[in-house]
Amino acid sequence: MNAGFRSQVAAVVERDLRRERRRGDVVWVTIPFGAMALFLLPLAIGVDTQLLQRIGPGMYWVVVMLFGVLVSVGRASIETGAQRDAVSLLGLDPAAAYVGRSMSAAGLLLVYEIVVGVVAVVLYNIEVIGFPWLALTLVITAVGLGLLGSLAASLVSSSSAGSALVPLLVAPLSVPLLLGATQVYEGLRLGRSILSWMLLMVVVMLVTAIIGVGTARPLQET
Amino acid sequence: MPSEIRSRNWPWMAIVVSVAVALALAIVSPADTVQGELVRIMYVHVPAAWLAYLAFGVTLVGSVGYLVTRRLSWDRVAASSAEIGVYFTGLAIGLGMIWAKPTWGVWWTWDARLTLTAVMFFVYVGYLALRNTADESRVRAGRSAVLGILGAALIPLVHFSVVWWRTLHQPASLLRPDGPAIQDPLILWALLAGVVAFTVIYVALMAKRIELHRVADRIRDVERSANRPVAGASVTAPELGGGLGDG
Repeated sequence: MNAGFRSQVAAVVERDLRRERRRGDVVWVTIPFGAMALFLLPLAIGVDTQLLQRIGPGMYWVVVMLFGVLVSVGRASIETGAQRDAVSLLGLDPAAAYVGRSMSAAGLLLVYEIVVGVVAVVLYNIEVIGFPWLALTLVITAVGLGLLGSLAASLVSSSSAGSALVPLLVAPLSVPLLLGATQVYEGLRLGRSILSWMLLMVVVMLVTAIIGVGTARPLQET
Repeated sequence: MPSEIRSRNWPWMAIVVSVAVALALAIVSPADTVQGELVRIMYVHVPAAWLAYLAFGVTLVGSVGYLVTRRLSWDRVAASSAEIGVYFTGLAIGLGMIWAKPTWGVWWTWDARLTLTAVMFFVYVGYLALRNTADESRVRAGRSAVLGILGAALIPLVHFSVVWWRTLHQPASLLRPDGPAIQDPLILWALLAGVVAFTVIYVALMAKRIELHRVADRIRDVERSANRPVAGASVTAPELGGGLGDG
């Protein structure tokens, strides 16, 4: 990665984070929505505390995946064709734009995961075990979802059904991440090896990154 | 028979012959010692699953082909194949559920093969939904090509899921490195005849769908060019004097 590429990525990350600071989509919409979902689930399932403790980690990851997509949905609905044209006329490398958007989304998703995670621990009485591995899982999931969401947002940008379509595109493709994340926690809880699940998540992340970077230019041209 | 009629009817003749052979073999083949008569569902389920792999594999080829050459004919191949693939994946899932209820006691189980096949189905439903969001042919082609490549990563996952994970779904019966696992030759031939018949149906449907996409693209382009101003807002079309009846 050369210096020009790095500075372009940094500029995109800075722009996205500044936009989030002004609009507060993640802080004021996505995080409360995720917390509310975790609050509602026990009302539908029943308030059996032992059952909730058992299914809590899985529920947490489902909420992270489904509602975390909203970070990318928000971006798809904000960016207009004129904005994208202006950015491409400025000479911004499409791959740098993709990496920057993914990194900013990953950062916001990590904040979302941590806050909603605290809510899940409190509401479901979840035991926090194997902290370094759990932290690594949070980071890999955030990066993987950020990459997938940014790619999906690029695919649907400036289309009428864009924001509605992003969850449909991201949810099935994020299944390996969901499986990996839930199995890592189960592995840590039961003292089983978690390396194969970590590997699965890293592979998904890398494959998405390669496809996203490789197709960034053709997607910009459309 | 004139050659023109013969060439126009070949897909239908091929379908009739191959389906008739597959149907005959499916009827005369013996009941399975374990599954009984339920084995006959496999003569449609297995070929439908094979067709899903084939169709989504061709979607991958069409997607890569479009991104490399930028020719819309590749996009039509990818789109047509995805449409057929979604239909046959749905058929494979539906028939698998009908088979599972009497065999496993449930319509659905959270088995790796079943779950990943359902995920693959939803990815390509998303692919078709994505195609509907863009009117311009090249925009649609470029975007769906990316998803066509990304979605294809699931094909090996679905196929090898029965090898990599301990699953309720039985391992592959036909596509195995050590040859087919089926002992009874008539059951094996019935399955192979089903695979051939479904492949013929796929080829015939592909030919029709590609032609339909070509015509639809042409109509869309004509409509778009008709609505476009001739030379910008500064030039207006001449007004014709009088009504139609002025002669």
